[in-house]
Amino acid sequence: MSAGAAPLGDALGGFVVLEVGDERGEFAGVLLAGLGAEVIRVEPPGGAPSRRLGPFASGAPHPERSLHFWRYNLNKKSVTLDLGNSAAAPVLARVAAHADVIIDSGEAAAVARRMAAYRELRAASPRLIVCAITPFGLDGPWRDFKMTDLTQLAMGGIMAVCGYEPGADGKYDTAPIAPAAWHAYHLGSEYAAVSIAAALNFRELSGEGQEIDVSIHEAINTCTEFTMPSYIYAGVVVKRQTARHASASISPPWLRRAADGVYVNAIIAPTDREFRALVRLLDDCGVTHDLNSEAFSDPTRRGRREAQREIFAALDRLVASRPAEEIFRRAQALGLAWAPVRRPEENLADEHFRRRGSFAAIAHPELGGDLLYPASVATDGERPHFNYRRRAPRLSEHTGEILARAGYAADEIAALRAARII
Amino acid sequence: MADNKRRWALEGVRVIDLTWLLAGPGGTRILASLGAQVIRVECREPRAVDFLRYTPPFPRKDKSAPAQDLGMLAGTPANGFNRSGNFNNINPGKFAITLNLNHPKGRDLLRRLVARAHVLCENFSPERMDQWGVGYAELRRVNPSLIYVQTTGMGKAGVYRDYAGYGPTAQALSGLTAMSGLPEPREPAGWGYSYLDHSPGYYSSMLVIAAIMRRRKTGQGCYIDLSQTECGIMLSGTAALAHQLSGQPTARHGNRMPFAPWAPHGAYPCRAEGDPGDEWIAIAVQNDDQWAALVAEMGSPVWAAEARFADAAGRKANEDELDRKLAAWTSTQERYALMARLQARGIPAGVVQKSVDRFTRDDQLRARGFFVALPQSEIGEWPVDGFPARMTASPAFVGGLTARGAPMLGEDNERIYREVLGIESAELEALKAEGAV
Repeated sequence: MSAGAAPLGDALGGFVVLEVGDERGEFAGVLLAGLGAEVIRVEPPGGAPSRRLGPFASGAPHPERSLHFWRYNLNKKSVTLDLGNSAAAPVLARVAAHADVIIDSGEAAAVARRMAAYRELRAASPRLIVCAITPFGLDGPWRDFKMTDLTQLAMGGIMAVCGYEPGADGKYDTAPIAPAAWHAYHLGSEYAAVSIAAALNFRELSGEGQEIDVSIHEAINTCTEFTMPSYIYAGVVVKRQTARHASASISPPWLRRAADGVYVNAIIAPTDREFRALVRLLDDCGVTHDLNSEAFSDPTRRGRREAQREIFAALDRLVASRPAEEIFRRAQALGLAWAPVRRPEENLADEHFRRRGSFAAIAHPELGGDLLYPASVATDGERPHFNYRRRAPRLSEHTGEILARAGYAADEIAALRAARII
Repeated sequence: MADNKRRWALEGVRVIDLTWLLAGPGGTRILASLGAQVIRVECREPRAVDFLRYTPPFPRKDKSAPAQDLGMLAGTPANGFNRSGNFNNINPGKFAITLNLNHPKGRDLLRRLVARAHVLCENFSPERMDQWGVGYAELRRVNPSLIYVQTTGMGKAGVYRDYAGYGPTAQALSGLTAMSGLPEPREPAGWGYSYLDHSPGYYSSMLVIAAIMRRRKTGQGCYIDLSQTECGIMLSGTAALAHQLSGQPTARHGNRMPFAPWAPHGAYPCRAEGDPGDEWIAIAVQNDDQWAALVAEMGSPVWAAEARFADAAGRKANEDELDRKLAAWTSTQERYALMARLQARGIPAGVVQKSVDRFTRDDQLRARGFFVALPQSEIGEWPVDGFPARMTASPAFVGGLTARGAPMLGEDNERIYREVLGIESAELEALKAEGAV
């Protein structure tokens, strides 16, 4: 797109972010690092807790082989610092003197203890921005509840609307199911990244830093679409149902199985345009149907129960007639917003995502090659806005570099290491 | 009225908001909460009005009235376009004007607005703005430092540029649907709402703020071609990485934890509070101490002392049996009391809260003032979701500059056309009569 358009991968270049804490805030750091901030992961000498989360490259748990740590620490640097040791405070102060932002995530009590130290830093340097990411925020009656991704998605409201539909008697015989992949922490971190960017902008306007208190619980609560308005305005508690929107009553299924066994998300909006596209698709695929008959001639007739049943049966036969990817291409060519249910890895070789740079090839010398990481949500027309180039750091990989920048001499660094402060 | 003493993170930023439904408006909601002047630009032609303005829920006459049947598609709402609760929740803090892009004078007005703005957001189908002659290439000539955000299902650049997509389409294609649910041979359970209508808003607002900072330094504008499906890919965790190393297809695990030896780890039934009940508690035991605490809370039943449950590996290996035994106990318990007792013992546990629970029983949301009551000009005061981050110097406020819920269609025509473009009432009336506004 030439002049006026360029990727934002360096938009936050020059800003330094220290990231303390556990896995709850790591995605926030990754997002800022993808926009050019220098993000320094501050780990205890034994390594960040997320280094113990699987899956692991080559199976067995090892702090340098956690794919979780790899994915959520791209582009970052690593320093070790034992913040539980009071002797670490002056080191943190000197390192933070070069920082614009401190992110700290974890249980509120632990983060609140460290906040006291950050407030001293802010007293000395009011431009500093400090962002706490905790399960419920830094105050409130549930502040100290012990939480995991699962329990957060339960309390925040996402889980109650996800899972399988009830039986004919209206009774659920399966539990609600939390969508997989750490979405509680994604949501908390996304709001943290937005808020930090906003605070940086505010600092440019005013010269002032500030404190940010992100509640993961509240972040999840903002993310359930019409679930909450349905209750607030209409008194309706929506019912979860398989792979489609929870709603007041049980709706017809959206997933249909293709000839190759793969599911397709295939639904028809009650418009003439979509109905005609469906008829055309049935004809093109040689699937017999009766949808040209009088009973389907207008939206009112098509809305009748009998007609609906026939339309859905035809839809089932249509999807079952071809492999999922073929149904996808044929339906989309006619303007139907259908898609196959792909597994995440099936997009690695997809030409669309390859061209958009949706995955970044990150060099892993220890593996003797590259790994493709999910790395983009947007392009400038040609290149992805987020810019990921460097694999996650090895534990303490940059301690020497960061401490030297903070003014420590080599012998001082050695002494800190000997005292297990770093 | 707007609070004049409030200091905003996005002071002075003007956003022309052509978005509709949720994938676009979610992002401008965040920008409005941070103090940007967000001007919703809508066509008053019924067929072109934001579909969300048509959708239930609508306010009950009185809040004690029985629950409504939401229906799915309401057609033209009998009561006009200003009563949707869903629309109200997604569009607070925004101004609204009407403008007809099918009219040449409407397109001219848009160009004039863009010349006086920093950001334009839209989520039409990929070619729509180009067809009107007001795509990025054209508007950049009007405003070279414009930040232009286009949110689409697949992304405007690439093989699928002409493909249509909504949240569920993007969830299916990206891998998120496949990842969630019980293991094969069960079908995926996926998502009970459009997660990928929400996610683009987080990224569009983040990228816009980054672009605003760059613009201040360099004067440079920005084109942002944002893809809902790519948001899903970004949020698929370690699945694609693991596959590259193991060659194994990504599997579903229900509520179980495949990445650490945590068990029990799931949702367990609680005492029913209605017929049929749907009450559950999520419990996640991460270590031996938490397990010992759970056993004590259960009253140390004989089964829990069996050797096979003594360590994490054993509990994981016998998870089916463990889940059955635990569920038999939880199903006799009242869910909130059980949560309190488990939490008192340091065990991660949380009620699977439904909307009604979050609104009426969540002490934390209440204490933090999460729901914010805002006046909407036609339906009165209603609570909307708050902003989940407190900021000490430039606090976010979902009422934004307007201190209102969602705007009525064209509610701010007089004010915005006058303040931004210097168009006075008489001229505005003429533009309306011509069908441009």
